[in-house]
Amino acid sequence: MQHSHEHDHGDHQHPAAPMVDEITDFEVLEIAVRELAIEKGLFTAEEHRRFTEWAEQIGPAAGSRLVAKAWTDPAFKARLLDDAVAACREIGVDWTEPTGSGTPSDYMNLRVLEDTPTLHHVVVCTLCSCYPRPLLGHSPYWYRSPNYRRRIVRWPRAVLTEFGLNLPSEVEVRVEDSNQKCRFMVLPVRPAGTENWTEEELAEIVTRDCMIGVALPGPSRKSDDIRPVHKASRPVPGDHQRAEAGK
Amino acid sequence: MESNDAKTVPARFNVGDRVRVRDLPNLFYTRTQMYVRGVSGTIAARTYEDLIPEDEAWNRDEAPREQYYIVRFRQKDLWEDYPFDNDTLQTEFPDRWLEPVSG
Repeated sequence: MQHSHEHDHGDHQHPAAPMVDEITDFEVLEIAVRELAIEKGLFTAEEHRRFTEWAEQIGPAAGSRLVAKAWTDPAFKARLLDDAVAACREIGVDWTEPTGSGTPSDYMNLRVLEDTPTLHHVVVCTLCSCYPRPLLGHSPYWYRSPNYRRRIVRWPRAVLTEFGLNLPSEVEVRVEDSNQKCRFMVLPVRPAGTENWTEEELAEIVTRDCMIGVALPGPSRKSDDIRPVHKASRPVPGDHQRAEAGK
Repeated sequence: MESNDAKTVPARFNVGDRVRVRDLPNLFYTRTQMYVRGVSGTIAARTYEDLIPEDEAWNRDEAPREQYYIVRFRQKDLWEDYPFDNDTLQTEFPDRWLEPVSG
């Protein structure tokens, strides 16, 4: 609805409404179950908040360590490709109790997809948002979006290009639609230029997106890199100039 | 998964077998996507035995287990005019959703 400000000023026919979507059935269900559990004494509101805070901090660090170890230890890589759930225990991730709260992962069938110079994997769940959470934490927003889920199976190369990843046509792009009880993580190819790196240094370049398959790790991009500065086209006087003058 | 006395349907396929995804009716719930139905592919892996989603969704825990398989499709077989010959897609099915492709 388009309104002209000139005419609507002072007109109270259209009271202000909050710019939010209606609450979903799942949100209502979550609140109802949570409040019942608190009333029943299963946990307190404070305990729930603490767990939520902790859960939302889980990152992809465990997956990064898994990849770095596979890159540096061929015997570990063989065990990882053979039985990924067992291999995860070697880096301290137990799929029977990934949250520390006694709840097992929903399913315990993890498969690691090994990329080669001529094969690139990318993971999706077209039906919902299945994701290897014990290794990668919560899935990113776009992974759950219908846009990604619909298009990555139909136009994978176009979608990867939108992520800035252009693969030559000789490379086979293999989409893994995680529709049942297997969970998948990509083991990317170790990039050239990392030959003498330690396992800890290698883990720093294996970001979440590399393990979903929408990005490739590279030796020039570490998690503790200094971020590039994009200067403003119309800078506030004294802003960047002052910072540069101080160097 | 704990009830080992539950029956298991004998697995019909092995890695390398050619299979076609059946187009069974959707009775309330399924995890077999529409875009793979009627398309042929190759068994890439045998994964595990478990309840099928159509039973699990209704807590029919006593229903027989089935073998699950990862099937590999050529993207060219899934989508008309797909422009890259080598690209593939894999996804997973319980035994009953697959039928053998002869020849």
